[in-house]
Amino acid sequence: MTTTPRVWVTGIGVVSPLARGAGATMDRLLAGDRGIRRLSLFELPGAAPGLAAEVADLHAADVAPPGEDLGWSRTDAMSVIAVREALAHAGVHPTTSPIDLVLGGTTAGMFETEVTLAALSRDPAAIAPLQQLLSHPLSSTADHVRAAVGPFRRVRSVCSACSSGANAILLAAAWIRAGRSRCVIAGGADGLCRLTYAGFSALSALSADPCRPFDRRRNGLNLGEGAAFLVLEPEDAARARGARPLAELRGFAVGAEAHHITNPEGEGVSAARVMSEAIARAGLTPANIDYVNAHGTATTLNDSMEAAAIGRCFGAEAARVAVSSAKGQIGHTLAAAGAIEAAISVMAIQRGMLPPTIGLEEADPACPLALVTTARAAPVRAVISNSFGFGGTDSVLVFTALDAFPEPPPVSVPSRIVVTGGATVGPLGVLGARGSLAYLDAGPAPAPGAIDVRPADHLDVGKARRLDRAGRLTTIATAAAGAEAGLVFGTPGCTDVGAISGSAFGSVDGSTAFMRRVFDKGAKFASPADFPNLVPSSPIGHASIYLGLRGPVLAVSDLEATAECAMVTAVELLDGGVGGAIFAGSAEEWSVMVDRCLGPLCSGITDRGPRSEGASALLFESGDRADARGAAALARVVWWTSWRDDGAGALADAPLPLAGSSIVVVGRAGDRARLPLVGSPWSAVPLRAVADRAGDHEGAGGFAAVAAVAAVAVGDSATALVLGVARDRGFAILLVPDHP
Amino acid sequence: MNAAEVRQQLKELMVSELNLEGKSPSDIDDVAPLFGEGLGLDSLDALQLAMSIEERFGVRIPEGAEARPIFASVNALVDYIVRTQAG
Repeated sequence: MTTTPRVWVTGIGVVSPLARGAGATMDRLLAGDRGIRRLSLFELPGAAPGLAAEVADLHAADVAPPGEDLGWSRTDAMSVIAVREALAHAGVHPTTSPIDLVLGGTTAGMFETEVTLAALSRDPAAIAPLQQLLSHPLSSTADHVRAAVGPFRRVRSVCSACSSGANAILLAAAWIRAGRSRCVIAGGADGLCRLTYAGFSALSALSADPCRPFDRRRNGLNLGEGAAFLVLEPEDAARARGARPLAELRGFAVGAEAHHITNPEGEGVSAARVMSEAIARAGLTPANIDYVNAHGTATTLNDSMEAAAIGRCFGAEAARVAVSSAKGQIGHTLAAAGAIEAAISVMAIQRGMLPPTIGLEEADPACPLALVTTARAAPVRAVISNSFGFGGTDSVLVFTALDAFPEPPPVSVPSRIVVTGGATVGPLGVLGARGSLAYLDAGPAPAPGAIDVRPADHLDVGKARRLDRAGRLTTIATAAAGAEAGLVFGTPGCTDVGAISGSAFGSVDGSTAFMRRVFDKGAKFASPADFPNLVPSSPIGHASIYLGLRGPVLAVSDLEATAECAMVTAVELLDGGVGGAIFAGSAEEWSVMVDRCLGPLCSGITDRGPRSEGASALLFESGDRADARGAAALARVVWWTSWRDDGAGALADAPLPLAGSSIVVVGRAGDRARLPLVGSPWSAVPLRAVADRAGDHEGAGGFAAVAAVAAVAVGDSATALVLGVARDRGFAILLVPDHP
Repeated sequence: MNAAEVRQQLKELMVSELNLEGKSPSDIDDVAPLFGEGLGLDSLDALQLAMSIEERFGVRIPEGAEARPIFASVNALVDYIVRTQAG
């Protein structure tokens, strides 16, 4: 086996409640300063102002092009500032060399859009495309970073709630290990907003006092905001340009608890499993780890679960390994947390300093850890950084000092990637991959509005009672795809099975209804049960809990190419040795706000056919894994790509079509789909679109992909090119029969 | 509001707020435990129920250990609501 490229960290940038700048933030963390103050950014109706860790003097206008700041967010501003710092630190820039961007987020421009959404919901007739809502989609933050900083090559927006920033870094590392990137900037960003504040308050998760991680009197977290990004490069690329490495990102792992949407698994079994896997992948043992940068939110449940997990993973070493949490100083910065804490981990190695746990006065006997209460000097050669998100999405990153340890073991990667199952939930009902071929046939257009799929016909609605519409559509599609693949859900065989799904705009109607209640009735009537459903990763998180999936679980968002983005991301994770099988697709629910406002605003398309709604899922699997369990593949993935422009020339290195038996399949026909084909041999191949049958919504491309798999599986086509396009972005996946 | 009215409204509230699909208010037992066994509710349901009880009945349910006996059963909740409304 060839050696796996080693991943070097060559730049960091941080915007935190304590400072703008990674070094300045670390100085203040080590000094024990706290950035937690009385909330000043907004007032919540009917609630006394609580505490928060805000980033002061932050304005979208500071980074937005002149005249465009109405459509930009504070999250954009923090991201741009942190990205610029990290790039300058590394001495690279997207205008001079190809750099990829992965950004983890949860609420994007919610602060800037939540008031408008709630106001519009009072008068649906007034809904019209409004520039003010441009920062609503999760993908808008990465788009705005690209607009402000430079032409990043590959761009991905990911969400796994409070582990989003860690998973962004993990995806970047997977790209580098697979040899697909020479430089990636990855991190997370989240601005404070009323929605998260009212939501965490409804969950009784906010402390009225500055929080106390791992303390016996801890009673909740403080919310914060921030952004952090790391520049990652393969060792050889960094050496070739004479870069100064800060640390090595030596190991990483991601897994789901499949337990509960808000509460962590009490015994920390999954968190311990993910920590152990990350340490093993780094070629280390717990005895090598000097420091654990804990998730440490200061909620009762998180800290005792995390302590149990550390005990379970480290065994006798748990009494030795230093542990601390930064959340008593910068609050819980949600999607930024995993990235800021990755930056802290790198700086702890660089400076040989262990940062403190401020707020901790008397350690909880239920948390028997070597907690660091005051910053101190220590040799720090290996660090793990823990991140845990709603839905039980656990991610662990392992950073080490350069040359402190021997070469890590090579990463085991699949020899081929196949599709073993697929399904659609749409106007034609719940269909497996082969059944979904019907969407390529001529036939009547779907009715506008919601589809006639009754969840009770497909799900145990008692078990699925917490799932909203998007969660149910996602779960039904995932379950059907898994059934076709012969997967037995909830068994130990699903430990390495993950799922990536998403939607163009997230839970627009749910978020709007949640905020209307807050505005109309007061913050104390915010719904605790509805709040967890508003994070973009909620539908797929719910599906993982319902189905018992314990591999990588996260959401992506990329406008009308979200399903194809999820599929390409699943293939890339498998290709990087992360997970054994990963479902991928999207769920788009019918919404008048999307139909009349966000859809036309963000796509520029105003002449859509009947929109309908629906969900899609394909199961991508390591070919070796499918062979081992005797699963027949429907198709094999032989090539894929993604781009961030109009797509001209994007198919230049695509394998050639087979004359007479190839098809190109897209969600929606039109100029955007044609442009990547211009000048390519694929332009002569018949192009088929599904939106006329599946519905002209943002998830139509997912239906196209499932139909393409079916066309290959039944022998209609020897090769099928799935083309997913949206404004300034696109994805392509080439499918062939597994045994031609 | 008398206890019978509160009991009926509370059960309707539970079905709608906790999305107990396929269950009707009459399916909910008066004395069975609400959490773990019985209806199988959890802490997130308790928060949702407390919020909706305050909205519907104007009665605030305390947090933490004090809430436990109040959430013991439908009857315990009804008692608490009626007592607090009267007080």
